[in-house]
Amino acid sequence: MYSFTILVKRLVIHMLRYEIKKLYSKPINKIALAALLALTLTAGFLTIRDVTYITESDEHLSGIPAARHLREAKNEWKGELTEDVLKQVVEENRTARETVGNAEDYKSADAYEDALDDAFVKTQGIADIRELINSTFSDLFDYDYFRADSVPSDEINGFYQKRIDSLKKYLESGEEYFSDAQKDFLIEQYEALKTPLHYEYADGWMALMGSQYLPTLMIILTVILGFLVSGIFSDEFQLKTDSIFFSAKHGRGRAVLSKIEAGFVTITAVYWGAVLLYTAVALCSLGFGGAGCAVQIGSKWRSIYNLTYLQDYLFTVVGGYVGNLFILNFSMLVSAKSRSTVLATTIPFVLSCAPMFLGRISVLSRIMTLFPDQLLRINTNLDEFVLYTVGGKTWGYLTLLLPLYIVLYALLIPILYKVFQKTEVK
Amino acid sequence: MELTFDNLTKTFGDFTAVDRLSLTMTNGVYGLLGVNGAGKTTLMRMLCTLLHPTGGRIACNGQDIFELGGKYRRVLGYLPQDFGFYPEFTVQDYLLYIASIKGIRPAVAKKRVHDLIGRVGLSKAANKKMKKLSGGMKRRAGIAQAMLNDPQILVLDEPTAGLDPNERIRFRNLISEASENRLVLLSTHIVSDIEYIANEILLMRDGQVVHKGTDAELIESMPESVWKCRVGKADVPQFMQKYKVSNVKSDSYGAELRIISKKKPFPKAVEEEASLEDVFLYYFGEKAGDTHAEI
Repeated sequence: MYSFTILVKRLVIHMLRYEIKKLYSKPINKIALAALLALTLTAGFLTIRDVTYITESDEHLSGIPAARHLREAKNEWKGELTEDVLKQVVEENRTARETVGNAEDYKSADAYEDALDDAFVKTQGIADIRELINSTFSDLFDYDYFRADSVPSDEINGFYQKRIDSLKKYLESGEEYFSDAQKDFLIEQYEALKTPLHYEYADGWMALMGSQYLPTLMIILTVILGFLVSGIFSDEFQLKTDSIFFSAKHGRGRAVLSKIEAGFVTITAVYWGAVLLYTAVALCSLGFGGAGCAVQIGSKWRSIYNLTYLQDYLFTVVGGYVGNLFILNFSMLVSAKSRSTVLATTIPFVLSCAPMFLGRISVLSRIMTLFPDQLLRINTNLDEFVLYTVGGKTWGYLTLLLPLYIVLYALLIPILYKVFQKTEVK
Repeated sequence: MELTFDNLTKTFGDFTAVDRLSLTMTNGVYGLLGVNGAGKTTLMRMLCTLLHPTGGRIACNGQDIFELGGKYRRVLGYLPQDFGFYPEFTVQDYLLYIASIKGIRPAVAKKRVHDLIGRVGLSKAANKKMKKLSGGMKRRAGIAQAMLNDPQILVLDEPTAGLDPNERIRFRNLISEASENRLVLLSTHIVSDIEYIANEILLMRDGQVVHKGTDAELIESMPESVWKCRVGKADVPQFMQKYKVSNVKSDSYGAELRIISKKKPFPKAVEEEASLEDVFLYYFGEKAGDTHAEI
């Protein structure tokens, strides 16, 4: 019995090996993989380049040298962001800004700009905390970059409560409709944020999770993986190998499973390969520090998802993986059903890009939040107030989408298997 | 090994491709002969579990082949009419892959692939990509894949179509060698292939087996005679219109016709021994002058 199991396993691995070989032997797929590698590295380098620092001698740095200076400057404020620390930041900011004064005092607009730049150079170390103060003292959906400059130190008292108050004010304004349960949920999420926030240099994570390159890379990945896997089933018909395939002993059994497995292995290997390469390029250059900081210290002050940067990263990349699994297996289902590789190749493109545009049509905007493309850009959608109430329990939509698409993916597999297994060759 | 077709029917919309066909086959080589559209390929596809019958059943040793599933396909080898392959695979990889989906253990498959590559004369091309092979070589790879599992039932659909004469002869010999101790069903509309290989010939028309027997029996069963006669070139169209003409051989003096007719068509006509080609023309050809299948 044991040796039989070993033999079956070997056979399955053998089948899988050749299924994968079929994919990677196609010239178009080799080109697609090379393009993906180039795009991943480009996205990584562009992400690094987005981190900038201006020295006091007006030298503009980007990437690794900029990160070095920023780490040094920002880690001076490493620790809990208590109200005392925030007051110090307000004072530090005021000192830097005092030298600027009013625009009217300057002989020219350029001179005023230069003064602003000088102030900016001096406040690079407190830029993140300054942004927190801007967000807190601005309206919830109306960010004012200069707000921190006019905040008196004594108003810092009750800093974290102000965030909750802003939310309550927004909810009472009626700008958006939320049920009472949803309002309670939002307030609970805000109250659940552990304060005072921990702060340290986290520009590596901020660049990684705050940039548009990651969701763009996810879409590119989906489209390229579409090229790789959409022919797994339909190529049998296009190459006219279907008759031999289905008349073989395992042609309506294990060989079908090996195709599904080949899709899974390819999606998993290529997805994680590209995502981890992109992550490694960004974090190895900019630093891994700040993984434990809450995402609210960056540009996600409004977010109802109380996550650290590491959790945000895991949520984003696991979400992207689940989104890709669903979209690409759906493409494989279309491939098996329609017998057309071309049609199947369009599915990843349509599902990853079209909802983005359709979501701008107001009547469709809500329903579009349930499409799998949302999983490809969790990091950029983390501050959306989109909620769903299921069975009396309210969820942030991103939290709902992940299990929803895991279930849908799990349901797709037996359907895909059955559809291909029952194929007739006419 | 016994295969039974019991009232087997397959329809596509209004078109009946196989019509209430009943037949029993045991070990031996069966030649399925019929013009294009006679239902040969549909019958073979049902036999290979690629198509479900609309009615009736196919049984292997008494058990429905669709219920047997993988157990039945384990003893089946199939070379389809449109033999497709994976263009980027080498011959060896292609055969190893097919061996895996046929459930042959990798170690056994390696040995069998090596043997078969030698037997079909592809040793030198074993590491060549399938897309680089000539038409004949591809067909030889095709017969090798069909033989991988040493099948008890071997189904070959138009295996020699499109091959040059040398490759055709080579291929026929390969099939002959492979046909020992198994049930081989060979479909073609090339009469000479059947003549050389088949023990029993099944003549198929409009989805039914209209006649069956050895080549001698089929020739014997033909109720008309074959006549050879020389006519003037100008008379050829008239004869072709009036009789079934299985061959026209023209020269500068006129033409020699091979006519199938009950009566002597021409006073100087000489009776000839009938061949399988004549039988084919008799059963499947319309009045002479119409287009016939390739003979």
